[in-house]
Amino acid sequence: MMESIILWVLALLSAPFFSALILKVKAFFGGKKGPPLLINYYTLIKLCKKGSVYSTSTTYIFKMGPMISLCASVTVLMFLPIAGHAPIFSFRGDIIFILYLLGLGRFFTIAAAMDTASPFEGMGAAREAYFPIICEASMFMILILFYTLTSELRLAAYFTGCQPLELWLTAGSPMLFIIFSFFIVLLTENSRVPVDDPATHLELTMIHEVMVLDHSGPDFAFIEFGSFCKLFFYSTFVARLIYPFSTYNIVWDIGLFGISLVAVYAAVGVMESVMARYRMDKVPQFVLTSFALAFFAIVITLEFVK
Amino acid sequence: MDLFFQSLLIICLGGFSALTLWRKFYLMKVASVLSIGAGCFLGLYDAMSKMIESGQYSAKLSYLNTYSLSFRVDELSAFFLVIIFAVSLLSAFYSFHYMEDSEKSLRTGVNYFFFSLLIASMALVVTADNMIAFMLSWEIMSLSSFFLVIYNYESGENRKAGYLYFVFSHVGAMFILAAFGLMYGHSGSFAFTANLAAIPESMKILIFILAFIGFGSKAGVFPFHIWLPHAHPAAPSHISALMSGIMIKTGIYGILRVYAILGHHSLACSIIVLSVGIVTGILGVVYALGQNDIKKLLAYSSVENIGIILIGIGLGMLGMASSNPVMAVLGFSGGLLHILNHSIFKSLLFMGAGMILHKTGTRSIDLLGGLLKKMKFTGTTFLIGSIAISGLPPFNGFVSEFFIYLGGFKGVGMDKMTFTMSLLSIISLAIIGGLALACFTRVLGIVFQGEPRSEAARNVNEDGISMIVPMLILAFFCLVIGVYPKMFILMAAKAMSSLNLGFSQAPLEPFIEITGNITCAASIFFAIFLVVLALRIFLYRNKTIGSSGTWGCGFTQPTPKMQYTGSSYAASILEFFKPFAPLHENHSAIKGVFPEKTGYNSHISDIAELHLNNAVVRPVLYLFDKLRWIQHGDIHLYIGYILLAIVLLLFFV
Repeated sequence: MMESIILWVLALLSAPFFSALILKVKAFFGGKKGPPLLINYYTLIKLCKKGSVYSTSTTYIFKMGPMISLCASVTVLMFLPIAGHAPIFSFRGDIIFILYLLGLGRFFTIAAAMDTASPFEGMGAAREAYFPIICEASMFMILILFYTLTSELRLAAYFTGCQPLELWLTAGSPMLFIIFSFFIVLLTENSRVPVDDPATHLELTMIHEVMVLDHSGPDFAFIEFGSFCKLFFYSTFVARLIYPFSTYNIVWDIGLFGISLVAVYAAVGVMESVMARYRMDKVPQFVLTSFALAFFAIVITLEFVK
Repeated sequence: MDLFFQSLLIICLGGFSALTLWRKFYLMKVASVLSIGAGCFLGLYDAMSKMIESGQYSAKLSYLNTYSLSFRVDELSAFFLVIIFAVSLLSAFYSFHYMEDSEKSLRTGVNYFFFSLLIASMALVVTADNMIAFMLSWEIMSLSSFFLVIYNYESGENRKAGYLYFVFSHVGAMFILAAFGLMYGHSGSFAFTANLAAIPESMKILIFILAFIGFGSKAGVFPFHIWLPHAHPAAPSHISALMSGIMIKTGIYGILRVYAILGHHSLACSIIVLSVGIVTGILGVVYALGQNDIKKLLAYSSVENIGIILIGIGLGMLGMASSNPVMAVLGFSGGLLHILNHSIFKSLLFMGAGMILHKTGTRSIDLLGGLLKKMKFTGTTFLIGSIAISGLPPFNGFVSEFFIYLGGFKGVGMDKMTFTMSLLSIISLAIIGGLALACFTRVLGIVFQGEPRSEAARNVNEDGISMIVPMLILAFFCLVIGVYPKMFILMAAKAMSSLNLGFSQAPLEPFIEITGNITCAASIFFAIFLVVLALRIFLYRNKTIGSSGTWGCGFTQPTPKMQYTGSSYAASILEFFKPFAPLHENHSAIKGVFPEKTGYNSHISDIAELHLNNAVVRPVLYLFDKLRWIQHGDIHLYIGYILLAIVLLLFFV
């Protein structure tokens, strides 16, 4: 239990660091030196020192938005088996609770954006409401696959210890599909290229960044920190699948898990460097690919594996 | 006389007193609201105690000495009675400040009369124990609600809505009658408790399908839902709350009751219920997303929730068909709990919509905006209702959907057919959840947030304590069920025991454990929220808080007209569902150097309405037009018809 809590705190503390890796990889591809690896910590500290300016159009929902979305991401990490170690909390069906809790965070992010009366933020909100619908469907598709393989509905049952290895051994080829499917969900849910470009400078083409345009100071720090945690959450899924082993030694596990996480974040960075953002009306097709992959994985499992 | 009938009597007395006192407007309102409220309260108390004691109560009345009317309260009835009386109590109080037009005093009196009849007849429907009593109460319910729908009968649109509702409820009643007729034909008894074991299995399926169509048309099952989006906006808001919150659930009650009576646990029935539920759920929320009329939107969202309830019940039936009791219990209890939950948040949302309509005079969401600043209570309770109806934790919508999900996952491990249906239900529940989130962030964002889009929305205030308090109570229950669902899931599990599922009381410990987990998870969330809140307060101490206009991305002259509208918010999602929700746009192009004023309007059409009109209504009208010569007005020939009919009857009977 104590170890789980320490791991949770470690995850919270290291989430901003990993996100900075993406920037570093992008800078490398651009032939630049890039910001320091601790850039996100500096940003968070800087934001926390500032005050805020609120739009006269906004209500209390605008202030609730950052808090709830941060809460959702932080709570979700409590259910996540970090480095293959048992999570702090776990119960039957916790993964459904997690997905819906992230939904609550999204509800408030959208509501906070709509609060500003800005047409640009409305545009971002409409997209934020649209794409995750398909993501959720493919997440549930993946869950159904995991359930047929393990007969369990707990996140801990998929990613603790050598459990991911079991998944690979029983259904190796579907897992290849699942990695890609997860990765697409990761890119969509965390507003990365090719769904959304966090570095773009035209409000019309943004999704997540435009929704938080009016937030400032500590509120904005909450949002940023929440999105680091969310990215950490989804990356862990992929990381545990590409490195499914466990040494049952906590220090080694943390180290190896950290390396696999670095690989995932670097992959996101490479993706951002070599690809352009899709046209908005092409994005649903991209996200549907993830759904289709998960679906085929289930078909393969049912017909050939079982 | 049992407390149950006493409470119905008090409710009806309230209605009659409104008819006699209509000349004194306030006295009438006080008398009938108090009387209906007292009756509902008594009924609620009685239903609660029957629920706890789980004693069955029955009464028999003789009607015209030929047919006996019998009523019986079992656990399933008690569960529905609790919902009926609780929501009716709150809507009765809500109506006190909502019905403010003393010019229409007589009409208000008549409205209260039918209101009381509707409550009493709904209570009788769920307790009826034979076919005669059931059909009698069912008809009183349909007719009284018809008169409530046409409250504003001056408007042609409302009359049309009332007519549509009338047609649907009676065609539906015909199907129910056909199902009952088949049952009577085989058992020779009107009683619901008659032994139906002798009926062949194929006949049972036919009876179930007939009853499903009949009850489905009341419940708002696709494609028989098209009366809902017309009737709900036409009725006064407390009536919409009552109709959407509970009356359409009597259709679900009917389906459950027929399922229990038939005791027929075939795969076919469960597949029918599940697939209809899936289609109803997804299309309901897609159409809700496309509406601009807030009450129409809520009506379509009721269709969606009926879909979720049917998915729950269908999974329960699937569990029975594949003899998996755990899945059956999860599905049925999730579905039943969702009935309770939906009645809570849907009546809350309709009451909120009623407050908006009452204060601004418009139902069009694109004319509203920024109401949260002026209407604190309505806005906050509407926010809670929106989160709850999107099925998000820690509110009640999540709990029932969670149970349905667990039921669905139980089916994933089974044989191919069960697997496929479970997979479809899980995926469609996920899609419905996402779409509902989009739909309700849209309503909330356009109506309550941002800047007012019209003069009517700018000058609003909020008053009427009798309207605010019911909303607060309902919002409170959304949270209570979401955090402490144990008692309510036990209620649903108890209601299930009268479904004749063949196994005696299932062990409840695993289900209590699930509710414990939900409570625990919600508490974790609240604990973290408190920490974040404390952190926020800490970070904001001694800070300068500025206030200015919204950042216009470089544009300095924003107007409320530039805000994102409801239509634009939903456009891209609706584009995805285009084949099922065709969009009709109407705007004149901008021409010349000095263009004239132009406009744009769009609406999406409901394919059920479109096809029903083309495929059913037109041919029927054409046929009857051709048969018009029968009605020629010649009295001699009419007498000839009668003779012919008698002669024919002599041959056949």
